[in-house]
Amino acid sequence: MTDAGAAADCARFAPPDERIRPGDAAHYVPGQPDMWVFVLVEALIFASYFVIYMLHRVQDPALYLRSQERLNAGLGVTNTLILLVSSWFMARCVQSSRERRYDVAFRQVLFTMVLGLLFIGFKLIDWSRMVSEGLELSTNEFFSFYYFLTAIHVLHVLIGFVFLIVAAYQLRSPLRRSQEIVETCATYWHMVDFLWVMIFALLYVIR
Amino acid sequence: MTATSERRLLTILLVLSAITLISWWIGAQHGQGEFRLNGPVTFGVLLIATVKVRLIIGEFMEARHAPRLLRRVADAWLALLVSSLLAIYFIGAGFHT
Repeated sequence: MTDAGAAADCARFAPPDERIRPGDAAHYVPGQPDMWVFVLVEALIFASYFVIYMLHRVQDPALYLRSQERLNAGLGVTNTLILLVSSWFMARCVQSSRERRYDVAFRQVLFTMVLGLLFIGFKLIDWSRMVSEGLELSTNEFFSFYYFLTAIHVLHVLIGFVFLIVAAYQLRSPLRRSQEIVETCATYWHMVDFLWVMIFALLYVIR
Repeated sequence: MTATSERRLLTILLVLSAITLISWWIGAQHGQGEFRLNGPVTFGVLLIATVKVRLIIGEFMEARHAPRLLRRVADAWLALLVSSLLAIYFIGAGFHT
């Protein structure tokens, strides 16, 4: 058997904690492959939303530019930084768990949750400010896209909390720990992060 | 956590944060007064977003260690998405100038 074949068999059959580590081989899929398929499906669905948004935008750019002036870009960039830092904590959590430093990994997943809550808190503040200024879902086409994209993203953040709670639950007890599940949960959370990066660029910053 | 991986993740975070602020600054520079259609700003902002998404997938999601198929699918998705957005934007902008 070739070295690559042996490595693949090792990755497939070994208990999660004994699987090939990143750096040991160039053929390591973090977490469960099913989650990557799910991420791809989500990425394709969101890509279609982004393309539809752009198709509508080019038909009336003046309306979209006028509407963008009413957004709070400072809050948008703050939320982007919050999600990036939360992803950083989650990536470190995976590393800590891989090194069997479970208390540290547990704290890092908690920090990720706190930042996720902060993101939702700022989003709620932003929505309430906009509604109080009369900028609602039905105000115009841009705001319909704005509320749709940001709300469906917040829904994904909330689903992300389920994964973060599962990761925290796994890390808490030696009987339950599975590196593969922690990595799977992290993969979902990072997806929430990169989807927001695109939403931020399209809604707040392009001209 | 090894010092090397800790340092690498921190560097990635700092790069991501810095280019986020640069992207915001580019938008803000062209947002003083009335917002206007601006191809170079849109191109730059979408390019920065592409770099950010690729860094998140490659570094935080550890796709750079993944089999070639996964990396290629991720790159293909990103390239197809951003090139479609730019094509629609610039073709559409042609009708408004």
